[in-house]
Amino acid sequence: MTPDESAAAPDATPAKPPTAPIHLRPAREADIPTIVPLLLRLKRLNEEFDPLLKVREDAEAQARQVLRQQIADPKAVVLAAEGIGPDIGKVVGYVRAIVRERPFYAPDFEGVILDIYLLPLYRRRGVGEFLLQEVSAALKAKGAGIVTAEFPAQNEIAGRFYTKRGFRPVTAIQARSL
Amino acid sequence: MSESTAASEAPLRPGRRKAKAASAAARRSESATDELGRRAVELSRFYGGKIETVPKVPVRSLHDFSLWYSPGVAEVSRAIHREPDLSFELTGRWNTVAIVTDGSRVLGLGDIGPVAALPVMEGKALLFKFLGGVNAVPVPIRVASPDQLMSTVEALAPAFGGINLEDIASPKCFGILEELSKRLEIPVWHDDQLGTAAATVAGLLNALALTHRTVRESRTVLLGAGAANIATARLLLALGHDPHRLSLVDHKGILDAERHDVDELMLRNPWKYRLALKTNGGGRSGDLAAALDGADVLVAASTPTPGAVRPEHVRAMAKDPIVFALANPDPEIWPDEARAAGAAIVATGRSDFSNQVNNSLVFPAVFRGVLDARARSIPDEIVLAAARELARGAERRGLSAHHILPTMEEPEVFPEVAAAVGDAAVRLGIARHRLSHDEFLERARTLMGRSARLVRALARSGLTSPMPRAPSSRRRAA
Repeated sequence: MTPDESAAAPDATPAKPPTAPIHLRPAREADIPTIVPLLLRLKRLNEEFDPLLKVREDAEAQARQVLRQQIADPKAVVLAAEGIGPDIGKVVGYVRAIVRERPFYAPDFEGVILDIYLLPLYRRRGVGEFLLQEVSAALKAKGAGIVTAEFPAQNEIAGRFYTKRGFRPVTAIQARSL
Repeated sequence: MSESTAASEAPLRPGRRKAKAASAAARRSESATDELGRRAVELSRFYGGKIETVPKVPVRSLHDFSLWYSPGVAEVSRAIHREPDLSFELTGRWNTVAIVTDGSRVLGLGDIGPVAALPVMEGKALLFKFLGGVNAVPVPIRVASPDQLMSTVEALAPAFGGINLEDIASPKCFGILEELSKRLEIPVWHDDQLGTAAATVAGLLNALALTHRTVRESRTVLLGAGAANIATARLLLALGHDPHRLSLVDHKGILDAERHDVDELMLRNPWKYRLALKTNGGGRSGDLAAALDGADVLVAASTPTPGAVRPEHVRAMAKDPIVFALANPDPEIWPDEARAAGAAIVATGRSDFSNQVNNSLVFPAVFRGVLDARARSIPDEIVLAAARELARGAERRGLSAHHILPTMEEPEVFPEVAAAVGDAAVRLGIARHRLSHDEFLERARTLMGRSARLVRALARSGLTSPMPRAPSSRRRAA
């Protein structure tokens, strides 16, 4: 797990049933140019929380490469959220997650949510809730028995988002410079 | 009313000459400001500060001390102990406010700390007393965090009937005002937000009327997204301004919902973030020029950068635009320049031009009103009531492009504003003293008038020394 592999939850409130003003679909290679800026926004937000999450100079090229690889990877889930109404066809958010083996713990596989990002105007409308449900289902379909989320320890908004939805801290990662 | 607008525009055609005059005005104002500064230091030294406490009861002989102090005073304490609200009747609490600052954003001087802020707070206390009849105590405090500031103010609250927060940096000032207003049962005000915003809105209401506009239909650009304009935006929205016709612009350009720094704002300045989402740039993105294209109103309240607004910006606005250039001492654009570029109405923060947007038009009257109503807080409805009454005050003397706000020489307006504030507190159900309009007005007139009489009486009796003259060498130079 690297600092890059972190997720910040959008500032969303639960809505039941989710009535998301978006259309969610698997991301395609053609989405990469529109997802990269969103991914960079998320990483820059993470940078605000901790200097050890400083965004690399080459983050943009990295983002393109990682997305290309994960969109093709059957063990990864990348979803694109398209806006509706005037934003129809525009990617306004995305989710990125992977399935990871747990060699010592049961269940054997966890679905790890690495990124959830939504443009501000799509927050607080139940979209985050919807994204979480959809990505959880996709990860389960790929064999994950639990779902985890990674985000900066100082991101209280993300922390609240997940704990409200039944998540709890399981593994702590602490860091210092070398 | 359109006549006077036209009249004021007529002599403004020769643009170049006016622009030259503007820079001359800038130079003049600079040397005048220097001289005022020297004089202020001299006089501060001569008088040893600007305010003092004076007993307000007779002391016929030292025996009276047994009434004003021990043993008599013990019964007064017992009464208040039984019923704490009696502190508003049996002590001066009803008319005493604290001027609290951490010195983190003093005038245009920046973070100069609490001690250096003291002369400013003393000056503010003088204005409070002279204009509002309010006893104000300067309380600059050395604190390490907003939490410490808030707990300190909470700890101080028993001594005061109200709290005036002053010169606290943005964005922490927003959270501090919000939170203290919740925690305290006495009114809390942050003048850099509310005072400026109320005066701005008052001026705008009249400027809009003069140019046959309404708040609802106007396209407005706020340049600068600090304490004043964040509050102004909130008030305009409360007045029914269409958020999609309201653009906030700062040094990074138009504040829209997808600006690159918007997530950072969510964390560091949620007030600005919320406006970014709500206005979404007024449907625009880009720079000031993009925002101003076709706009009806510009309110510039930015970090002073002369020339931040250029004549071509004003020329690109709608016909007969309204330009408020409020940076002090140098406005974002000089009034003559703005008018030469077509501005129908111009306001600044300076007293040497017409239409001064001045906090002093607001805070003494607002505090007079909330103190007399013994209000529990100062919600935006009260701020708007003050702004509307201030606008009406200017209207009573006749509106023109050069008179959209009362000047400080129209003191009859201030008790009216105080009474409007008192009425609003009663209407909102937050007044402990539910007086009638006439009672509020009468009380405000008496208390506000008393201070000026007091100052004059002290001067007449020689208890306040006459002002020493400036050294003759400098008088000649000036």
